[in-house]
Amino acid sequence: MFLAIKEIKREKMRYGLIILMIFLISYLIFVLSSLAVGLASENTQAIVSWQAKQVVLNKNANVSMSQSVLNKADLKNAKMTNNEALLGQTPVVVKSKGRTQVSAQFIGIKKDQFIYQGLEIIIGRKANKSDEVVVDQAFKDKGYQLNDKLELNGSKKKYRIVGFARNAKINIAPIVYGTLPMWKTLRQGIPTMQASAIISRRSNYYNDHGNNKTYPIKQFITKLPGYTAQNMTFQLMIGFLFIISLIIIAVFLYILTMQKMHNFAVMRAQGIPSGTLVRATISQSIILVITGVFLGFLAMLLTAKLLPAAVPMSFTPTIMLSGIIGMLLMGVIGSLIPVRSILKVDPAKAIGE
Amino acid sequence: MTVIELKNVQKNYGKGEATVEALKNINFQANAGEVVLIMGPSGAGKSTFLTVVGSLQKPTAGKVLIKGKDISELSVKESNKLRLNQIGFVLQSYNLVPFLTIKEQFDLVNQVKKSGNIDKATLAKLLGQLGISGLVNKYPNELSGGQQQRAAIARALYANPEMLLADEPTASLDSKNVDEVGQLFKNLAKNYHKAVILVTHDPRLEKYADHIYEMMDGQMTKES
Repeated sequence: MFLAIKEIKREKMRYGLIILMIFLISYLIFVLSSLAVGLASENTQAIVSWQAKQVVLNKNANVSMSQSVLNKADLKNAKMTNNEALLGQTPVVVKSKGRTQVSAQFIGIKKDQFIYQGLEIIIGRKANKSDEVVVDQAFKDKGYQLNDKLELNGSKKKYRIVGFARNAKINIAPIVYGTLPMWKTLRQGIPTMQASAIISRRSNYYNDHGNNKTYPIKQFITKLPGYTAQNMTFQLMIGFLFIISLIIIAVFLYILTMQKMHNFAVMRAQGIPSGTLVRATISQSIILVITGVFLGFLAMLLTAKLLPAAVPMSFTPTIMLSGIIGMLLMGVIGSLIPVRSILKVDPAKAIGE
Repeated sequence: MTVIELKNVQKNYGKGEATVEALKNINFQANAGEVVLIMGPSGAGKSTFLTVVGSLQKPTAGKVLIKGKDISELSVKESNKLRLNQIGFVLQSYNLVPFLTIKEQFDLVNQVKKSGNIDKATLAKLLGQLGISGLVNKYPNELSGGQQQRAAIARALYANPEMLLADEPTASLDSKNVDEVGQLFKNLAKNYHKAVILVTHDPRLEKYADHIYEMMDGQMTKES
């Protein structure tokens, strides 16, 4: 540690540049990870808030809730307890006088079931009447206010906002929560249709009667349009960034080590154990990575403060910790690459040079 | 008292027909308090001799004894420990770590050798004798060549070794400085009771030597 700190202190420019590289990479990793988690969360926010474990859909709906229709016959044998709720979903375009149009998902629910009961209202109240809706807080960010009158898909009927809900997004779109009769009106399908899905909070709930098919929530989520492709893209980018950071740290340390070979030979000739030199190299790498990652973390916090709320970034301790541990690991692995050269340095080379 | 002794030491490089005999049947001895000069032209085997005496390389045959103990077959770790504790090097490149101040060069020794180093009072006296007391917070590249060499000598003596090995200590010095360095080594040998071995081809140092060995084609002869 002594040699590591002294050298960094003396060679500020050289090590400053390495820290800058690590800072930029870790900043990018933090931002991309936060974006990945943020976007993933906007896909599943509502599903998570419902604490859903199983979803029953029409088996011909290709695991898509908005495509699914369950009619009276399908629900005939459905056992509905406190842990099950009916839900109707359909995409809508929301319009209101003086407000921007918003593409959203309408979700019709029943007042006596757990989804309605569990709605987390941040402003206003839950909907009680047939023309009242609760909308995601994203609407508030777009300028919508309580008592705004909404047109859904150009409907003549107006719906009034009575509350803003937290965690009300599905597949990145904000949700408009209303009743199942409203959904039927908007969906304009077959008259016997009752809902899009049964949501259950029980992992052992099954209803594969007739046209129904039960899916575990994980399978349902991975089938959300674009969800898997988007997550894989982010995971690939983050993975590549880790590999790039490993290569950069390893290459920099290797070059630095090669430049210091004469110093190492001199120190070995003086009897400084090779273990001391190896520890100095590894601890130097750890100091550089910790400094770079810490600065990256600070920059990310600053970015989070400056970014508009519409940018879907999510900062969780898990992301931060995995980013920090990942970078540290890359730093240590990178610093191990020149260790072999240090161990093989011939102290006799110090003589006659 | 004999500090180092070489008995029939041979050092070969390469194998078979390509074998080069760098040291041939060397017998050598240096005592505490003495300055011993190893002289000879380039390629005579002086540097190889220094690496063998300094436990940087093992001899192919023969024995190297430091205070009567054979060091010819030491492991890498044992050789390291021996160099740290008993051998001080003053190399042509001054063996100073470029990113450490002169004071920190001593701190580095303290990091790896916790005891047995010279005490603060002795160090202050040594630095005074070397004329570098006011330079301890300077980095090597902030010192002149002569100052760096003196700092390297202080660094080599700090671990309180039995002997001091210097490789071409006057390589880039004018006559006045050669005399100063020669006298300095002489005084260090006497005052600190060290065996000082100077490898050089500078005849201006001869007058400061207690013994002179001449090397030629890997063979050593004692001149005086």
